[in-house]
Amino acid sequence: MVTIWYGLLGLFFAAYLVLGGYDYGSGLLLARGGTDRRVVLTAVGPFFLGNEVWLVAAAGILFGAFPMLEGELLAGLYPAVALALAGVLTVTAAVQLRSRSLAGRPAWDRAIIGGSALAVLGWGAVLGGLLQGVPLHADGHVEGVGHVVTPFAAACAVTLLTLAAVHGAAFLALRLPGSGHAQTGRRLVPWALAAVAATTVVGLLSARVRDAVQRPAAAVPLLCLLVAALVVAGGALARGRPGLGFAATSVALAVPVALVGAATWPYALVSTADPGASLAVVDAAASGPTLRLLTWLAVPLVPVLLSFQVMSWWVFRGRIDGRAPVYW
Amino acid sequence: MDPLLLARLQFATTTSIHFLFVLVTLGLVTLLVYLQTAWVVTRKPVYERLTRFWGTFYLVNYALGITTGIVMEFQFGLNWSGLSQYAGNVFGAPLAIETLGAFFLESTLLGMWIFGWQRLRRGVHLALIYGVAITAYASAFWIMVANSWLQHPVGYEEAGGIAHLTDFGALLRNPAFGNAFGHVVSAALTCGGFLVAGISSWQLIRRTPDYEAFRRSLRIGVVTASVGVTLVMGFGFAQFGYLGRIQPTKFGDDGDKAAAAADFAARFGGSPADYLPPTWVGAPLGFMILIAFTLMWVWVLIPFFFRDWIIRLKAPLYLLLAATPLPFVAAIFGWLFREIGRQPWTVYGLLPTEDAVTQTSGAVLLTSFVGFTVLLLGLAVADWLLLARVAHRGTADPALGRRPDEPVPQPADRPDPVLA
Repeated sequence: MVTIWYGLLGLFFAAYLVLGGYDYGSGLLLARGGTDRRVVLTAVGPFFLGNEVWLVAAAGILFGAFPMLEGELLAGLYPAVALALAGVLTVTAAVQLRSRSLAGRPAWDRAIIGGSALAVLGWGAVLGGLLQGVPLHADGHVEGVGHVVTPFAAACAVTLLTLAAVHGAAFLALRLPGSGHAQTGRRLVPWALAAVAATTVVGLLSARVRDAVQRPAAAVPLLCLLVAALVVAGGALARGRPGLGFAATSVALAVPVALVGAATWPYALVSTADPGASLAVVDAAASGPTLRLLTWLAVPLVPVLLSFQVMSWWVFRGRIDGRAPVYW
Repeated sequence: MDPLLLARLQFATTTSIHFLFVLVTLGLVTLLVYLQTAWVVTRKPVYERLTRFWGTFYLVNYALGITTGIVMEFQFGLNWSGLSQYAGNVFGAPLAIETLGAFFLESTLLGMWIFGWQRLRRGVHLALIYGVAITAYASAFWIMVANSWLQHPVGYEEAGGIAHLTDFGALLRNPAFGNAFGHVVSAALTCGGFLVAGISSWQLIRRTPDYEAFRRSLRIGVVTASVGVTLVMGFGFAQFGYLGRIQPTKFGDDGDKAAAAADFAARFGGSPADYLPPTWVGAPLGFMILIAFTLMWVWVLIPFFFRDWIIRLKAPLYLLLAATPLPFVAAIFGWLFREIGRQPWTVYGLLPTEDAVTQTSGAVLLTSFVGFTVLLLGLAVADWLLLARVAHRGTADPALGRRPDEPVPQPADRPDPVLA
């Protein structure tokens, strides 16, 4: 049961990176100019609020099902989490408020661009931080915060930024055909590949990452999947098949979560200070009665949540033309 | 600086800002349900204008409600990791249920409501706002279950130094929960009612071009505020009966207070004085009650609906405008009493606040406190300015539900004010 909940936690966070990823990717691409910014935000529009909830739900699962992990993970990676949160907040408020007054719009747009960058950089650093471990002590407290700041965490942050940018471009290519976003996406793919390659090299050179990775055999195929997804995305965007391109970039956004989870398994949080203090997934989970209660609730609830999300995607599917409702 | 103080300041700041927005969200969504139902049933255009106007206001407010809510959720892990380690098995469950069962749906449905204005059938669109309202109340329900457990822990057993859930039903039957939930929800109705009445008064004082709409929303606001303030007092005073029993150091008589403090000192060390909340904690309670008694006078305005004297006399409009901030002030006072009165405990009688805070340096917490406070306050002030703007502009051009081919009205297109 613990494994299922760990999988569910990963699923919700991966879904957040895929869905929120194109919000932030589209936000980053506002900096590109060209297409009317309002058109870009209208393309994201109906999904925006429904995308971010995956993050909140993932944090809820983290708190409810993995209370032993929650404090250590968030407090242990304090600077990275705080950075990501600051970005998420800024984007959330700026997207919803930008069109409520014409005068403020350029400032809010800069906030969207900056916030999107902060959010993906922050979550990238969080994933990197998990893969390099934290100085966790046996009493459950993590020493200092300086351990997060490493070349590897920075490389992970930049990688997630490039992945989100490609993903956003693929999403906009799908929703706004002929807007030139397919070309942008295609041009960004080599950058993303270079970032993935650089991160891999930095990771292999870092003793912390080498020690923290428990199962390289699981990490390598997932890394290959990430590269393959990017290559497919580049090809699909070049050949005018944005649907396939978006599917491929979605895979590319989801893979990092699976990679971190699989590479550090059976641990949820690897300690660099004391190998015995590493927090295993089973020990991180809530005790039996809590998990049973949550399972009884989740079994009917998760399908309901999914069906409302699917309803939202279905109602607002398709391309954006001049007749779409505009609000953001 | 002292990490404990900083973490507490940050929690208080974030929660206060969040609370102000959430009160409006809960109060207004209830009125939106009424307005949109009235529109769908009667097909009167005035209800469409009102739904779109108050809907826009609701959404601008919601933007900050969700933003501050995200910080709240992550703050538990960032600053209070001792709490999730000790109490996560019990306290985490209602929070997880809130995110999955309430907030997740609320936001998903709201996204569809905003953009489904011309796309969905009327019935479906109406059902969406009902869904948003129900999940908003469910959200408040679970948050209050979680908070009440911190006030009065029940349904748990301590083993291996941490709390484990034994009886989830006990969390729902918690004496600290029921009346407090009713109290918070009726406080939201009171805030929503006074806000709607206050803004409508402002529009009517300025001789609004849409007299018909604001006359109606003034009445809705005054009635909601009257019912809300009565309920809020009922649920508030109902808690006096048992509060001293479940939290003697907060609300017991002097003998109970001393006995409970001595008992805590014997079990957790230190002197009994360490286990009493600050002596001034009764002040916010007193001010809250004072404000509530003042606001009860809103009932007097209802007879003035007759022949619209409430509008023609003008004075009631100015009174309502002046009263708008009061319920919010009272809500913050009430919250201060509930939370500071519980000190020095995070989980009453089980987990001292100093053991709940994350063991990290003051510099980290100071940076976090200053950074997030500046960011949130900046966004909140920007949001309040935009709310004032929406309120000031009236029903002429609500952005919400505008048809894509509908031109944006220019200021010159607006009808001239009429004399009321």
